[in-house]
Amino acid sequence: MTRRGPMLALLVPGLAVLVLAFLYPVAATLLAPPDGDPATVARETGALLSDPYLLPVIARTIRVAVLTTAICLLLGFPVAYLISRAPARWAGRLLALAVFPLMLNTVVRTYGWIVVLGGNGLVGQVGAALGLGRVQLLYTETAIVLGLVQLFLPLMILSAYSSLAQQDPRLEEAARGLGASPGRAFRQVVFPLALPGALVGCTLVFAGAVTAFTTPQLLGGSRERLLSTLLYSRVNVSLDWPAASAVALVMTVLVLAVSALSGRLGKIGSTTS
Amino acid sequence: MILRRPLLSLLTAIAFVLMLGPVAILIGVAFTAGSTLAFPPEGLSLRWFAAALEYRPFIDAFGTSVLVALVSTALALALGVPATLALQRGRIPGRRVVENLFFTPIIVPELVLGLALFQQVMVGLQITALGTLVIGHTVLLLPYTVRVVGASLALADPRLEEAARGLGAGPVRTFLRVTLPVMAPGIASATILAFITSLNNVPLSLLLTGPGVATLPVEMLNYVQSSFDPVVAAVSVVLLVLSVAVAFATERLAGFTKVFGR
Repeated sequence: MTRRGPMLALLVPGLAVLVLAFLYPVAATLLAPPDGDPATVARETGALLSDPYLLPVIARTIRVAVLTTAICLLLGFPVAYLISRAPARWAGRLLALAVFPLMLNTVVRTYGWIVVLGGNGLVGQVGAALGLGRVQLLYTETAIVLGLVQLFLPLMILSAYSSLAQQDPRLEEAARGLGASPGRAFRQVVFPLALPGALVGCTLVFAGAVTAFTTPQLLGGSRERLLSTLLYSRVNVSLDWPAASAVALVMTVLVLAVSALSGRLGKIGSTTS
Repeated sequence: MILRRPLLSLLTAIAFVLMLGPVAILIGVAFTAGSTLAFPPEGLSLRWFAAALEYRPFIDAFGTSVLVALVSTALALALGVPATLALQRGRIPGRRVVENLFFTPIIVPELVLGLALFQQVMVGLQITALGTLVIGHTVLLLPYTVRVVGASLALADPRLEEAARGLGAGPVRTFLRVTLPVMAPGIASATILAFITSLNNVPLSLLLTGPGVATLPVEMLNYVQSSFDPVVAAVSVVLLVLSVAVAFATERLAGFTKVFGR
């Protein structure tokens, strides 16, 4: 493998497609869309960041993503832990069951919530039976968070599991043997050692929640707009390219910033431990 | 386990109900005899499956989805396998930077990539929706093929190839008899993963539609927003059954959680 030429030639087609069909179009759209130039996009972005109607959309997007991430960690980490300590046969089945939803498209996965959360749905029926009146969770922030938690739990479980499965179970046993309660062994040994996996999971879930479209569109509608659904309506309804670019820019920067931050945290974590 | 760790078991139960409950309810809705999205279903019937099979846009969209998934998976492999071979085996200057470049399509929001391709390629270059879908999905799948095939190459000892060369095999023969078999499981996994990823995509495909051209998930999403009958529930059950079949086939072929658990 001393000849560099042929090896470089193998890279060229892939790199060409990346540059021509990905980097260039994305950069052009973010910075200089058809009806605008960088100045217009900058102005639109400024408007987005100061408009009293649009600022809440950004705040809501971040709030929904943070809540989704927190709930996924709270539920997904224990599941991953249970799978990592279960007998091999059960572990395989549970893991497969947790992974399976990833094979279904987001419409299939989200649609059921409309039946559950709608005014005449299960929640509505239970509410009426309890005399709570008409309970309507559909088209609320709660609905979006529920839908996103469902969507991204598998990612958290997988990420946490990959860390937990590598952990030597004897470490936890040693902590228990030295007198720690199960809860304390979990908090002081199991969780800190699995932090890298949990961090990867949190990053994936947060980025996924910020960019998800189907779920906020179906469960939040036009009443509870997030950045993604706002972007879509600016393209499809108002046909305002620079304004759409501004939303795309904010969304991209948000995701890149969180990825970079988690990369930094991961590095710090791995050098100190 | 359940008795010793009640809290852990409770959280696990909640997680699985959240992940699978809505899908289970959808199955119930699909078999309803009534004409609204109701659970429990109002009587049993297969009428919504019949309605789904007669609804032309879904049939066309399924064809579009499969076509796009097949072509873009093939293209992503054709571009990604040589690239990962070069990254893993060649002494590429700035290897890490190039490798990260191949992974960037994962970080950029798909909706943004879709908007970019819509503006610059579909409107800008007047390429058809189908062509733009293939381009977009190829870009989307490229990181998967590079990473999955790369992982199988990274596990194999490069000295195997050096030994084959040392024993007198030419570069082509070495590639066909040593490198390719080493990559084969990775290529199989990447193919399944890429195909399913393309088939399920919504955000990237959302804006890349034309007259009579849309992928199935996008067509389903549009239908759900305008009509409230259970046709899409029936389509979902059909997709669910197909997914279960693919899952079992994958399990036999390469290990289900190994392929989809990445």
